[in-house]
Amino acid sequence: MGLAELLGTYGQNYLDGLLVTWGMTAVSFVFVMAIAVLVTVMRVSPFAPLRFVGDLYVQVFRNIPGVALLMIVAYALPYLRVILDWRTCAIVTTILLGSAFGSENFMSGINTIGVGQIEAARSLGLSFSQILRRIVIPQALRATVLPMTNLLIAVMLTTALGSQVPMTPEELTGVVSYVNTRSVGGILAFLVSALGYLATAFVISLAGNRIDKRVRVLR
Amino acid sequence: MKTPPASGSMRDALYEAPGPRTRRRVAIGTAISAVVVAALLALVVRQFAVTGQLAPRYWSFFLEWTTWRFLLQGLVGTVEVALVAGAISLVLGLLLMLGRTSGVRPLAAVCRVVTDFFRGVPSLLLIYFFFLVVPQYGIKMPSFWMLTLPVALAASGVLAEVFRAGVNAVPKGQVEAALSIGLSRAQTMRRIVLPQAIRYVVPSLIAQLVVVVKDTTVAYVVSYPDLMQNARVLITSHDSLVSIYLVIAVVYVLINFAINQLAAVVSRRTGAKIIR
Repeated sequence: MGLAELLGTYGQNYLDGLLVTWGMTAVSFVFVMAIAVLVTVMRVSPFAPLRFVGDLYVQVFRNIPGVALLMIVAYALPYLRVILDWRTCAIVTTILLGSAFGSENFMSGINTIGVGQIEAARSLGLSFSQILRRIVIPQALRATVLPMTNLLIAVMLTTALGSQVPMTPEELTGVVSYVNTRSVGGILAFLVSALGYLATAFVISLAGNRIDKRVRVLR
Repeated sequence: MKTPPASGSMRDALYEAPGPRTRRRVAIGTAISAVVVAALLALVVRQFAVTGQLAPRYWSFFLEWTTWRFLLQGLVGTVEVALVAGAISLVLGLLLMLGRTSGVRPLAAVCRVVTDFFRGVPSLLLIYFFFLVVPQYGIKMPSFWMLTLPVALAASGVLAEVFRAGVNAVPKGQVEAALSIGLSRAQTMRRIVLPQAIRYVVPSLIAQLVVVVKDTTVAYVVSYPDLMQNARVLITSHDSLVSIYLVIAVVYVLINFAINQLAAVVSRRTGAKIIR
């Protein structure tokens, strides 16, 4: 199957797939960030139970294979009367996985600041919330631009889990199996989807590097 | 105030040594959050109970040796794929890195494209390539390789970057010194840079094994009997989905947690950072 024929027959599927991947990535990443902040706050809070739950959350979702989690969300939760549609299942799985890594990024962002600065701020008489607002958060955010760019790409790649549940329309990876079960798509059928991921990742990392250069704290 | 220990110090440095009022507030907050956490946990357990998922028939077969023997057989399959894929990706990653840093322009460009390609596509897509596309060209592969090769390729892209970070961590002066005493580029790489670079990336290589183990879980796509696939067989034979998926998830989490801990220990011993 030539490229013209492939795109003539399945062009719309690929386009839909790309849009679905982008959409799932965007929605997931917003929630990944929100939950990562929440979990990180829990992990640095002075309350032991919250610290414990935050640490547990990160360890579990950092170490669980995406497919295993997807199976639980998509096929085990309905038995517990939690029923989500297929696309939501894939997105929820992506969010749970991504937010654990996001929290790790925030933690290492906080850790780059150095205890000395906190002690200096305190000896100047800044209050706890002032220290967080003026010293910790601005620097931690700047230090996490590049890791979060990589996380955004990782989240996009994780949305490929959507191919393991019957979604319509399919996302980019699902399209490859859709095309190949209907006709002999050959290597091109695979490369078109791969190109969709690579081009998106390229744009994301370009933007990330730009932002990082502008805001990074030089040490 | 006592200086906090070096590791995980930020957590503690954020807070002053608490006075009596703060200590009381922290105690109250701790109590409230403990109650909230316990309540949420109770809610989850209750949901299991009202939907009948705590019934003994869903859990009793975990007491039988045959269940665990079958799962262990699957685990052996997982370990085989992970180790072979890990070994292949180690070699391939090293070659890609050497090509990229070789200084030969066309070779470096090719290696860079290949590295970025394997890093930039989902491993599931690579698996579909070996499962759906490769057979179209008349190549028949056993399911072991249909799973191992894509997992290895996906990991090799990441490892190439890890190795490159290791090479970059070797001080430039050493390379200059080696070249100036008459060693060739290849000799410098082999004798001076690589031994140090490899030692530097050992913890990162161990940590990458986690990604390999995770990637092997899609074995059911190619019907290779790994831990996940055997779990799916158990689900049909025992008609018990929730308990089996949960137990399998815990097994995977424990395995990967152990690998991560090992990487962290080695990292602390050698003082080499984990690059992801």
